[in-house]
Amino acid sequence: MAELRGSSGEAPNHILTRWFGTPDLHRLETYASKAGGYSAMRKALLDMAPADITNEVKTSGLRGRGGAGFATGTKWSFINRDAPGPKYVVVNADESEPGTAKDRYILENSPHMVVEGILIAAYAVGANQAWVYIRGEYDRPYRMLTEAIEEARTKGYIGPKPFGKEYPLDIRLYRGHGAYICGEETALLESLEGKRAQPRSRPPFPAVKGAWGRPTLLNNVETLATVPAILNMGGAEYAKLGTAKSPGTRLLTVSGNVRKPGVYEVELGKTFRHVIMELAGGPPEGRKVKVFWPGGSSAPVLPESMLDTTTDMEALAAARSMGGSGGVIVMDDTHCVVKAAHRLLKFYAYESCGKCTPCRVGGDWAVRTYERILAGQGSQVELDILQRVSDGLQNGRCLCGLGDSAGWVIDSTLRHFREEYEDHALRHECNVGAVMASA
Amino acid sequence: MTALSAHVLEEIRELPAKYPQSRSAVMPALDLAQEEMGHLTPEAMTEVAQALQLDPGYVEGVATFYSLFHLEPVGKHRFYVCTNLSCMLRGANEIVDHVRQAIGVSGSEQVSPDGLFSYEEVECLGACEYAPMMRLDHEYFYDLTTEKIDGLIADRRSPTPRPHPLRAPAGARPLAGGEVKPKRAPRKKKADG
Repeated sequence: MAELRGSSGEAPNHILTRWFGTPDLHRLETYASKAGGYSAMRKALLDMAPADITNEVKTSGLRGRGGAGFATGTKWSFINRDAPGPKYVVVNADESEPGTAKDRYILENSPHMVVEGILIAAYAVGANQAWVYIRGEYDRPYRMLTEAIEEARTKGYIGPKPFGKEYPLDIRLYRGHGAYICGEETALLESLEGKRAQPRSRPPFPAVKGAWGRPTLLNNVETLATVPAILNMGGAEYAKLGTAKSPGTRLLTVSGNVRKPGVYEVELGKTFRHVIMELAGGPPEGRKVKVFWPGGSSAPVLPESMLDTTTDMEALAAARSMGGSGGVIVMDDTHCVVKAAHRLLKFYAYESCGKCTPCRVGGDWAVRTYERILAGQGSQVELDILQRVSDGLQNGRCLCGLGDSAGWVIDSTLRHFREEYEDHALRHECNVGAVMASA
Repeated sequence: MTALSAHVLEEIRELPAKYPQSRSAVMPALDLAQEEMGHLTPEAMTEVAQALQLDPGYVEGVATFYSLFHLEPVGKHRFYVCTNLSCMLRGANEIVDHVRQAIGVSGSEQVSPDGLFSYEEVECLGACEYAPMMRLDHEYFYDLTTEKIDGLIADRRSPTPRPHPLRAPAGARPLAGGEVKPKRAPRKKKADG
C-alpha cells in the first residue's frame, strides 16, 4: 500500500482518522479490538430504538459530507419507517468530484467503519438492504469493501440475526462505469436501475420514491463513516466540535501546489490558511498561493486574500463559495487562472449527461470561447459570452448542480481575476509565463 | 455461433434474479461481455440484450453512456492518465506527453501500433494526494515520473504474465479480456475528450 498522506493517529480532532495507520485496521478483528469497532452497532441494535438513533444523529448536527451539506438526521427522519414493503439505504461511493479523494482514503484505511455506519443507518430507517454504488475505477476500495462485508457476514453482523436481533441486514455492491454525473443522487439511482444516468426531477424525492421506486436513504461514505463515532461519543459531545451550524470534523483533500498534499481531518471552523499553509505545508519554495477551490472544482474559487475564510459552510456561503466535497485544490502564482478554468470547463462539458439544454450546450460553448481566448483571438465579445453562458448555466436552470458548477467556475474566476482574463482576451498576453508556454 | 461463449451467456441469464428489478443487470452483464471480448461489439451487445430480454438499442444506449465501456478494440493493457486540475498542476502534461511518445499514440482513445496498449486521458480518479497519477489496467500508480512510466511499460512488454488483481487465482476461470488478442482494426482518429 502506498504511504499514507494525511491525518492518522491520536489527536483531539481526529474522530474518523484516529485509528488510521494501525496495521490491519481493515480486518474486522483489528477494527473491533483496537478501535472498538461494531460496539456502536451493537448498542444501536440492542439498546436503542430506531427513532433514538436518528435523534442522536440529529443532536450531533452532522451534515452530509457529499457536497450539499444537508442535515443527516433530518434526512433519515424523512424515511417512513413503518411504510410497508422494502426500503433501501444507498451509499454514494461514486467519488469523482475533481480534487476529492477522502472517500477512497476512508475505504482503503477503515472499510469496516463504513460497513458499520451503513448497518446502523439501515436499522434506523427501517431498511434491510443496503447498496453501495462505488465508482468503477476504485478497484482497491472495492476489493477492501468486499472483504470487509464478507468478514462481517461471517461474524453474523450481516445476516438474518445480527447481535441476536431479529432484524435481517444485507449490503451489496454495485459498480459504476465512469460517469461523474452518478455522484448526483438521482442520476446514481437511475444508474443503479440499469439506465443512462440522467438526473430525475424532484419531487418525488428519494426518501419517498428512490431506488426501484422504493423509499431510499442516500448518504455519502464519509457521512456514514461518522455515524459509529457519533453513537460512541454521543451526539451532544460530537456537536461540541466545529461550529454551531457546521459541527464536527470533516476530511479535506488538499491537492495541487502544496508541499504536503493529503487528506486531512479538520475541525470545521478552522481557516483555510491553517489547512493549506500549516497542514499541507504551503506552496513550494519561492511561490505564493494564488487561488484555491475550497470544496472541489465545483466550489467557486477564492483568491489568496481570502485564506482566512473558515471551513464551515456558513463562512463559505458568506464568501460566495461552498464546502462542497471538501476537495481543496491549491494553485500557485506560476499558473494561469484562465487556463485552469478552461480545463475545468472541458471537464463539465464532457461530463454533462445531455438532459438539460443549458448544460449540454453551454459547456461546449464556454470551451470554444476559452479556446479562442487562449489562442489569442479573444475580444470583449468573448468575455461577454463567458458571462452570458455562466449566467445561463446557473440559478436552477438545470435539473442538477452540474450546470451550476460549470457556471460558477466561469463566474468566480472572472470575478476574482478579471484582469487576467482581460490580459488574455483584450491584450492577447499572459502574464503567467509558465502556463502560456505549455498552453 | 455466438460472439459470447455459452458460459458467459449463462452467467448473464442468471444476473437479473440478483436485483430487485432485472434491468439493473444490464451493466454487470456488459461487464462480463467486455471482459470476454475486450470491447463491446454490436453482436455482443445484441446477445446481452437477448439474454436479458431487453431491446438491443437500449443496451447500446447504456453502453455508450459510460466511459468504462469500450465500443472499439482496446489494447491488452490500458492506460487511464488523469489530466484534471490537481494532476495538471503537478505535471500531468509531461506524463501525457511521455506516455503518448513511449507507446506510440498521438492522442486520447487510441491503441498503440503493436496493439499492446490502449491509452485514454481521463478525468479525476480520486487519488489527488498522489498527483500526478494514473490507472493502468486495474491498479493505481502514484507520484508519476517519466522513469516510472518507462519501468511500467518495460514490465508489460516482457513476456511474464501478470495476475489480474480482481480475479481469483489461476484455475478458477480463464483470464478473459486480458488474454484476448486485440483485433487491430483501423482506428478512427477521435477528438480529444
